[in-house]
Amino acid sequence: MASYAFKGGVHIPNPYPIKKPEVKQVAPPEQAALFLQQRAGGEQKPCVKVGDKVLTGQVIAKTSGKYPSYTHASISGVVLAIEKRPIPHPSGIDGVCIVIDSDGKDKWIEIEKCDQDFLRCAPSKVIQRIREAGIVGMGGAGFPTHAKISNAQGAQTLIVNATECEPGIMCDDALMQHYPREIIRGVEVLMHGCGAKKAIIAIEDDKQEAFNSLLMYNFNAHIEIVQIPTKYTSGAEKILIKTLLDIEIPSGEFASDYGVLCQNVGTVKAIYDAVIDNKPLISRIVTVTGSAVKEPRNYEARLGTSFASVVAQSKPNNKVHQIRMGGMMMGVDVPNIEHSIGKITNCIFVNNATLKPSVQSCIRCGQCNEVCPVGLLPQQLFWYAKSENMDRAMDYNLRDCIECRCCDIVCPSHIPLAQYFSFAKALHCKQTKEQQKADVARERFEFKEFRVERNKAERSEMMARKKEELKKKMAEDKTQKDKIAQAVARVKNKGALKK
Amino acid sequence: MTAVFSSTSQMMRQVIYALVLGISAAYAFFGWGIIVQIFLAVVVAIAVEATFLKIRKHPIKPAIADGSAILTAILLAISIPSIAPWWIVVVGVSFAIIFGKQLYGGLGNNPFNPAMLGYAFLLISYPLPMTTWASEFVNFSQAFDVIFNLNSNMVDALSGATRLDDVKIQLSLGKMMSELNLHSSAQAWINAGFLLGGLYLLARRVIFWHIPAAFLSGIIVTAFLVSLGDGEYLPVQNHLMLGATMLGAFFIATDPVSASTTPKGRLIYGFLIGVLIVIIRTFGGYPDGVAFAVLLMNIVVPLIDYYTQPKVFGK
Ligand code: SF4
Ligand code: SF4
Repeated sequence: MASYAFKGGVHIPNPYPIKKPEVKQVAPPEQAALFLQQRAGGEQKPCVKVGDKVLTGQVIAKTSGKYPSYTHASISGVVLAIEKRPIPHPSGIDGVCIVIDSDGKDKWIEIEKCDQDFLRCAPSKVIQRIREAGIVGMGGAGFPTHAKISNAQGAQTLIVNATECEPGIMCDDALMQHYPREIIRGVEVLMHGCGAKKAIIAIEDDKQEAFNSLLMYNFNAHIEIVQIPTKYTSGAEKILIKTLLDIEIPSGEFASDYGVLCQNVGTVKAIYDAVIDNKPLISRIVTVTGSAVKEPRNYEARLGTSFASVVAQSKPNNKVHQIRMGGMMMGVDVPNIEHSIGKITNCIFVNNATLKPSVQSCIRCGQCNEVCPVGLLPQQLFWYAKSENMDRAMDYNLRDCIECRCCDIVCPSHIPLAQYFSFAKALHCKQTKEQQKADVARERFEFKEFRVERNKAERSEMMARKKEELKKKMAEDKTQKDKIAQAVARVKNKGALKK
Repeated sequence: MTAVFSSTSQMMRQVIYALVLGISAAYAFFGWGIIVQIFLAVVVAIAVEATFLKIRKHPIKPAIADGSAILTAILLAISIPSIAPWWIVVVGVSFAIIFGKQLYGGLGNNPFNPAMLGYAFLLISYPLPMTTWASEFVNFSQAFDVIFNLNSNMVDALSGATRLDDVKIQLSLGKMMSELNLHSSAQAWINAGFLLGGLYLLARRVIFWHIPAAFLSGIIVTAFLVSLGDGEYLPVQNHLMLGATMLGAFFIATDPVSASTTPKGRLIYGFLIGVLIVIIRTFGGYPDGVAFAVLLMNIVVPLIDYYTQPKVFGK
């Protein structure tokens, strides 16, 4: 077997491993709070009112436009509120939520029987079903899947990311052990949808069981299942593409430019549900783990279920907790447990609150250089980011930082490097925008000058022309007058002669 | 890459542990002097560092706890002759901490290796005590007497052949290499101690292989080229196992703060230090070249770093 290795990265064993990742089904909640997708330009608007009765699977919000994306009710009941609530997002912003009070029946909408032989559908039809099922990238990115597939039409290779991305998360592992058949079918659906001839499912080599179960269900010669080293950032899209296909995609370019489509394995399962069973995305698998829970576990829960109700099943201790959504590396700390599970909630970390070690100065030890998967020099970048010397930071390829936090993890001085980098990027962005604005203003000013000049020139030219014309006319007039005078004189002469 | 250091002080501690073998070897041959010097140096370093932090109104405890001042003190104490008078180490360590580190804004901001700055200062200012080495095992009370000047005859009694500079003098007197008694077994043992310690650091990934490897290659290549010339020159193996070679390769040139940080940069940096060491040893006026070679290369580190940026993903 080919060995798949990449430079940099850190090996972090799962801090809270469990023997067999089972998936515990969580009963539909009493109340579900579903937040609406708020991507720029693609804001979803509710299409139900407070007090409306809704059924499980019913569309309750969608974006406008020709190809809308949807949110569906995850339980049946009555719409209790449509309001802004804090959502787990790094910026700490509020988002619009639709809150449904359960009627306890979990009554589904009528699901149309659909053609299970997806190969007979046109790829556009497959994409349409994916869109109508409200599927977004479930690995954490949350980008609408149908758009990603449409962009990658004609891709050569489909890569299914089953690497779990971050230490501690186990939901993909569990998913693969539970739904191997569905995943393989889902991959076939996706290949049909994007036109890829070949698919690679990448699994980290510490998930032997998951690997075996997929292998058992794979009868398609065009689908390859490979094991890659368990090393953090192996799951970052561009790193994964490099590992598997040896293609390096520079910043500013996309996988689709290179004929590659990457999808998370959770998304693939959702695609299976959507295309084969015609079921919308209303539940997902979530890992609950961390130092404060006695039983780290995976749960399959309806979207909108509160964090608290799933965390409670993992037996948390009574100490003060630090809640984090997403992985230990790139997740977001949330102030409290008052959140609900969304389409991208892959993991909830419940840790005992600890003091962060104090930050010391950089000793230039170079440990960070060693682990950067993109080959940057975090220590130099840090220097320039700190002093806000953006030109230099850009020289050192700040733009290529994927904010994976590998460098943070190894820094013996506990410098939050990635945080500096994300800040510096934002700053640079702002500066360039200002620069652009200034440029536009200058251009405008220069143009105005030019216009004034031009007007002046035009006007003087016009004046000159007019003068010229006038002169000509006058001259003409003169000749005319002369002619008349001559004629008059002639007449007079004639008259005189006659007399 | 799995080694994750939980703190800077943990890294510094690893370095200090790694020095133990070399120090033990020095102790075994030349006695208590080195132990007294280290002790004295550490006390002075902490006192000076604390005073300075207080003046600069910086928190004292974390800076002392990071272990860097202690490490600087130990490196300097090892580098000077074990029977040097007490004020040598006091002046040297103070100079190293104040001018080598604190005046630049503390750990992480110093362009020069503080221990080597202190050493160079001492060597220039006080050449005699800085080149008077012990010739035999010095017991505890003797060490005390000689370091604290309690018995002025003691120095002459204990000091003898100096190390590398002696080689040059002897050679210039027309002796053949084979006739020289270089105390080479003692020095080789000490160097072997530091070599083993350095390998430990490599294994623990506190330091990376680039600098020591390049440093030693620099020495080997240059020493070989020099030995091709006419006249008697120190052979390659003696360059490697004499003087501060191994200490320099694994502990001094690798000081992260003042070294180059890019992988390619580290190779260039290390190699050129090795080259300079042999040149200074062979043609220069000073006995050993490690300190000057390191300091000279410290100056060009920013340049090296800038021109040796690694290839970035996708570019
Ligand atoms: S790991 Fe931390 S201390 Fe070491 S060079 Fe990088 S930023 Fe500096
Ligand atoms: S956060 Fe950025 S600089 Fe740090 S290791 Fe990741 S990509 Fe490299």
